[in-house]
Amino acid sequence: MKKRTMFFRMITASLMRRRSRMVVALLSIAIGATILSGLVSIYYDVPRQMGAEFRNYGANVIFTASGAEFDVNDVNDGKDVFDSDDVVGVTPFRYENVRINEKPIVAAGTDPEGIKKTSPYWRITGEWLSSDGELLVGANVADTFRLKEGDFIDVYYTPEGSQSADENGERAVVEDNIKSFTVAGILDTGGKEEDYVYMTLADIEELTQADKGRVDVAELSISLSADELADVVDKINTAVPKVHASLVKRVTASEATVLTKLQALVLLVTIVVLALTMICVATTMTAVVAERRKEIGLRKAIGASDMSILKEFMGESMLLGFFGGILGSVLGFVFAQQVSINVFSSSISFRPLLLPVTVLISMAVTGLSSLMPIRSATDVDPALVLKGE
Amino acid sequence: MSLLELKNVYKIYGDLHALDDVNLKVEKGEWVSIMGPSGSGKSTMMNIIGCMDKPSKGEVLLDGVDISKQSKKNLTAIRRDKIGLIFQQFHLVNYLTAVENVMLAQYYHSIPDEKEALEALERVGLADRAKHLPSQLSGGEQQRVCVARALINYPEIILADEPTGNLDEANEEIVVDLFNKLHSDGTTLIVVTHDPEVAEVAQRKIVLRSGKITKVEENKNFTGKIRFDD
Amino acid sequence: MFLRMIRGTLFRQWKKMIMIAFTIALGASLASAMLSVMLDVGDKVNQELKTYGANITVVPKAASVIGDLYEIEGGDDSSAYLKEDDLGKIKTIFWAFNIVDFAPFTNVEAELPDGSEIDIVGSWYSHHMELPTGEQLDAGMESLRSWWELKEGSWINEQRASENDNGAMIGVTLAKRLNKGVGDTIHIKGKAKEMDLKVVGIFDAGGEEDSKLFTYLHNAQALSALEGKINSIEVSAITTPDNELAELATKNGPSSLTVSQYEKWYCTAYASSICWQIQEAIPDCVASPVRQVADSEGAILEKTQLLMILITILSLIGAALGICNLVTATVMERSQEIGLMKAIGAHNSSVSLLVLTEIFITAIIGGVAGFFAGFGFAQIIGHSVFGSAIEFRVMVVPIVAVLVVVVTLIGCIPAIRMLLGLRPTEVLHGK
Repeated sequence: MKKRTMFFRMITASLMRRRSRMVVALLSIAIGATILSGLVSIYYDVPRQMGAEFRNYGANVIFTASGAEFDVNDVNDGKDVFDSDDVVGVTPFRYENVRINEKPIVAAGTDPEGIKKTSPYWRITGEWLSSDGELLVGANVADTFRLKEGDFIDVYYTPEGSQSADENGERAVVEDNIKSFTVAGILDTGGKEEDYVYMTLADIEELTQADKGRVDVAELSISLSADELADVVDKINTAVPKVHASLVKRVTASEATVLTKLQALVLLVTIVVLALTMICVATTMTAVVAERRKEIGLRKAIGASDMSILKEFMGESMLLGFFGGILGSVLGFVFAQQVSINVFSSSISFRPLLLPVTVLISMAVTGLSSLMPIRSATDVDPALVLKGE
Repeated sequence: MSLLELKNVYKIYGDLHALDDVNLKVEKGEWVSIMGPSGSGKSTMMNIIGCMDKPSKGEVLLDGVDISKQSKKNLTAIRRDKIGLIFQQFHLVNYLTAVENVMLAQYYHSIPDEKEALEALERVGLADRAKHLPSQLSGGEQQRVCVARALINYPEIILADEPTGNLDEANEEIVVDLFNKLHSDGTTLIVVTHDPEVAEVAQRKIVLRSGKITKVEENKNFTGKIRFDD
Repeated sequence: MFLRMIRGTLFRQWKKMIMIAFTIALGASLASAMLSVMLDVGDKVNQELKTYGANITVVPKAASVIGDLYEIEGGDDSSAYLKEDDLGKIKTIFWAFNIVDFAPFTNVEAELPDGSEIDIVGSWYSHHMELPTGEQLDAGMESLRSWWELKEGSWINEQRASENDNGAMIGVTLAKRLNKGVGDTIHIKGKAKEMDLKVVGIFDAGGEEDSKLFTYLHNAQALSALEGKINSIEVSAITTPDNELAELATKNGPSSLTVSQYEKWYCTAYASSICWQIQEAIPDCVASPVRQVADSEGAILEKTQLLMILITILSLIGAALGICNLVTATVMERSQEIGLMKAIGAHNSSVSLLVLTEIFITAIIGGVAGFFAGFGFAQIIGHSVFGSAIEFRVMVVPIVAVLVVVVTLIGCIPAIRMLLGLRPTEVLHGK
C-alpha cells in the first residue's frame, strides 16, 4: 500500500467516523461560505437590481429635435444606439393645442405602452389609455370639465392658418377638425401632466391631419449608470444627426448619488458580516482541532514527525474547507436567488468565478485557523499530553 | 555492549529530583520490570527511555547513541525506529479500525502494509476483530491492538507503561502471555507496573523509590508465566 | 459549593470560556450591528432620496383648479396666490419634524432691454429660519436642487443678502442666449418695476429651468408688485411608503376613514397625510404628492429595507449556528470532567445546571461585550456610508438578548444530552 493511500484513508476515516464532530465543523464552514458567496452575489447584483428599481423615477434621457423636426424613425435610430437589454422604455410625445368645450388645452399624442414603462409612477383612476379613440385626462382638466371615466367628449383642433383673417378682415369660416373620444381614465401625477390630455399618436395625427410621424420629444428610460449614459448620449448626438439627446439631470445625478451609497452600504455590511463569520469559523476550527491534542500526542509518541502530523491535520481541514466551500457556494447562490426573487422579483445570474473563490477562501480560512492549534499541539511533549489531564 | 544504558541520569524539576543518579543497563532480549510507588520516578524514567523527555544530567545510550544529546526531531526518528510504546490508557485513535491503528505505526515508520498489520493482529489473537473500531472492542482487546501496534515495526525495545492497569485478570494474563511470546522472539521488554504479579514475571525486577533504584531482583525461576500465589 | 465550582471552571478553564465568550460576542455583535443598521436604513436611505427634490407641491386652491388653463395674470386674483407669511406654518404641522426642506416660488415674466421675454423665478436658496420651536433650519433650492451643476460662480448666498440683494442665477441656455457671465448685470423690466440683477452663478439643470433666471423672492415679487405673494411651495418630506390605508385615504378622501383608521393615517407620515396636514395649516391651498418622487421613494425604500432584512436574517442564522456549534464542541470536550462528577454521585440535573450556569455566565459576558462592539460596527457603517450616526434602538437589546439566550440554550442541548448519556466508567477509562 502506498503512503498516500493510507494518508487519504486516515483522513476519510476521520471525516466519516467522527461524523458528528465533522458535521459541526462542516456546518460552520458551510455557513461561512454561504454568507460569503451569498453576500458577494448580492453585492454584485445590487446596482443592477436597484438600478431597475430606480427606473421608477421614469425617463432619464430625453430626445428632442436637433433641427426643426424629427419623427418616430429618428427616435428609433437613436434608441438603437443603446443595447436593447438596457432600454426599459421609449415614449414619443407630440403636443398640440386643442380645445375642449371651447377652452384651450394641451393634448399630447403618445404611445400608451411606452408610457407605462417611462412613467411608472402615473396614477390612473379608471383605465390606462389602450386604444385609439380613448383619452387619458389630467386630474385638473377632469376637475374643470367634471369629467369621469367612460364619459364621451369632443376634442376640437383648429388647423394652422385657418385662424388668420382673410384680406377683407373677416374671419374665414373655421373648419375645425373634430374627433370624439371616450375618457379611459383620470391621470394623477402631482405634476404638470395633470393639466394635459393624452391620446394615441394615431389619434393626434387624425385630429390634426398633418405632419405624419412628427414627434416633439421622446422620453427614454434606460437602465445604465449616469457615466455610461453620458457616453451613449454623446454617441447618439454624433451618430444620429436629427436627434438631440440629453440627460435628465435630476434623475441621473440623484440616482448616481443614492446608488453609490446603497452599494457602499451593502459592501460594508458584507465586509463586517464576513469578517465576523470568518472569525466564527476560525474559532470553531480551533475548538475542533484543540479537542484532538491527545491524538496528536499519540501520533507523535508512535513516531510521527511534526511535519507529517501537520500535513494530515491540514489535509483534513482543507478537505473540510473544500466541501464546506462547495456546499456554501450552492447554499449562498440559493440564498442570493431567494433574496433577489423576494426583493426584486427577478433572478440573478450565476457567477462561475464565485465558486472557486469561495472554495479557496473557505479552505484558506479553515487551514489557517487549524494551523495554530495544530502547531501548539505538536509543540507539546507527547508524554505530557498522553499522561496528563 | 548493552542495548540500553543509563549513566548517572538525573531529572530535576525545581527542587524535586524525579530521577536521582540512576544507573541501569538492559541487555538485548532482556525482560525487565520497573516497580515503585507513585511519584517514585517511574514515569519520568519511562519517558526518558521512550525518547519523549530528556534527562537534566547524565547519559542515556540506546544502541550506542546518546539520546540525551539528540534534537527533538532526531528523538522522534529514534522513537519511531527503535521503540514500541504500550500505554495504560491504550491510546488508540478512536476513528480508525484496529488494523488501521496498527497501520498508523507503519505509516509513520515506513510504508503501511495491510497484510503485515493483519498478521500482527493475528499474533495478538485479534484477526477477526481487525475491522472493528476501538469503541467496539473490550479493554483487553484494545490493549492487544496496542501491543500489535507496538511490535509492528520490529522495535529494539518495547516499552509498556502500566499495560495491565486497566485490565481484569483474564486480560492481564493474555497480555502477559503476549509479552512472553515477544520475549521468546527476542524482543527487549521494559514493563513499568504497579502490579507485583506482572512485575514478578520479568527476568529482572527493578524497584524505584524517590528517584533512586533501591532494589534489583533477578528472577531465578523465570518462566514467562504469571505465578498465582494463591 | 456550586458557586465555587462555577468559579473554578470560569477561572481555571478561562481559555475555553474566553473562546466561548468571544464567539458569542462575535455573534451578538453581528446581530446587533445588523439589526441597528437594518432598523435605521429606512431613515438613512430616505434622507439620501431627498436628492430627488421635493415630493410634495403646494399651490393655491384656485390655481390648482384653473391652473395655467385660463392664464390668469398676477395680481388680478389674490386667491391665486399663497401668502409668504404662511410659510412658517409648514413647520408647525404634526409631522413638522419630517419636513426636511421647503422653498417658495414666485414666477413672473419680465422684459429684457431688447424687448424679449424672460421667465423670472424668485425663491429661497439657503434661507435661514429660526422656528418658534427653537429649531434652526436652512431651507431652499440649494438642497432641493442638488442635481444642479454649477458651471460658473456660486449659489446665491442668502446669508450675505444685505450686501448683494440683487444677485441672480441663470441657466446655461439663458446664459448662452444673453451672452452673459458671472459678474455681468442684466437689466430687467417687470410689470411694476425695473431693476438691475447681477449674475452670481450659472447652472446646468438638464431641464427647462436652464432657460430661466432665479433671484431672491422679494426681487421677483417686486417686479410684478406681488409683495408677500407666492405661486407655489415645494416641500421635501421624509415619508412612509404608501400602504393600503394610505391608498384608501387618497382615493376616497380622509373623511371616508373610520375614526381609528383616520387616527392611524393622520399619525403616520404618509405623503397623503402630510399633504392633508399642510392643507390644514395653510389656508386655501392644495398640497399634493409629486408622484414621480413620492412613489419611487416608496418603492426604493421598501426594496432596500427588505434587502437589509434578508441579509440580517442570514447573518443572524450564521451567528446563531456559529455560537451553537462552538458551545456544543466545547461542552462535549469536557466529557471527562463530567463523567468524574457523575462517578462521585452528581445527579444529572445538577450536572446540567452546572454546565448551563457556566455557559450562561459566559454568554452574558460575551453578549454584552458583543452588543457594544456591534453597535460600534453599526456606527462605522453609518458614518462611512451615510455620514451620520446610526440611532440607538432600544428594540435591539431584547432581540439580541433573546437570540443569545436561545442560541446558547440550543447549542447546549446536544452537548447536555450527550453528557447525560455518559457512563462514568467509560469516560474515566479514557476512551
